[in-house]
Amino acid sequence: MTTPRVQPTDADIEAIVADAIAREAACAGSEAQPPSSAIVWWRAQMRARQEATRLAEKPITIVHALSIAAGVGLMLSVIGYVVAGMKGSWGWLSKIAETATSAFPSVPTLSLTSPWVAVTLTAMLVSALIGSIAAFVILSDE
Amino acid sequence: MTTYLDVRRLHGDALEAETADVALAMDEDAFRAFYDRTSRALWGYLSRTSGDRQVADDLLQECYYRLLKSTVPFESEAHRRNYLYRIATNLVRDTRRGTRPLFAEGVEVADLEAPQAHADAAERADVRRAMGRLKPRERALLWLAYAQGSSHSEIADVLGLKTGSIKLLLFRARRKLAALLAPQVNS
Repeated sequence: MTTPRVQPTDADIEAIVADAIAREAACAGSEAQPPSSAIVWWRAQMRARQEATRLAEKPITIVHALSIAAGVGLMLSVIGYVVAGMKGSWGWLSKIAETATSAFPSVPTLSLTSPWVAVTLTAMLVSALIGSIAAFVILSDE
Repeated sequence: MTTYLDVRRLHGDALEAETADVALAMDEDAFRAFYDRTSRALWGYLSRTSGDRQVADDLLQECYYRLLKSTVPFESEAHRRNYLYRIATNLVRDTRRGTRPLFAEGVEVADLEAPQAHADAAERADVRRAMGRLKPRERALLWLAYAQGSSHSEIADVLGLKTGSIKLLLFRARRKLAALLAPQVNS
């Protein structure tokens, strides 16, 4: 004859679970080795200062970027103005090209008055300017 | 338009921020007292809900830092503590890792001298394994209720749940843990 199995009541279950977790909590409490409050406070101070510095420096970075953009815009307008002024004097460039072609017939003819050549030369000039400004900003930051 | 002087002023502000004391939500003495009262229990919560002591070590500092940076006007110590546990809960949720070593490993008995030591250690290992099979929210619920002694409204506040649902969720979590601890329950 088998004895009927008694189902634990909710109260029994709660008591067992509560006891198991309370014992585990006691175990966790003895395992815990948190750093001292002074260290945690000091680290928090350091981190908050670093974040404050980063936030304060953000507008400076924006100002730098705006300055560079304004400088590049100015340079482009100057280059445009100079190119427009030189448009009437492309003749001497054509002469140089003709001389070079006659002196070295094997060299392919390069039309210096072509708008593509002008665009390429302008792009190279602008790249050099931007590069030098960027180098200046990086070096001045360092 | 931004002038050179504005840029110098901004540089000055940045340097000042580096050297001056920064505003945190508590002063040093109050923080240190609060930390001493809560850090061990919080570490326990972090380690048992994440299942990883290393995670608990990593997150402990972060919890207090976020508390210090918060702009919440705390009405009481309990309110502040609940807010700290809510931060911890969110951090653990964001730091899910595949392995949970704490729930897989046994319990060391080398330092235990009592005759019951081995039985206790085995029992505790069973509890850990059972907890490891619970969902993180169930672990947090049970821990807050039975390790921290938090009320239903406090648990709801920490876990971002409705107070009315806590009773049922706790009931289910208890049943589940009890089923996982079946030999203990039956004996």
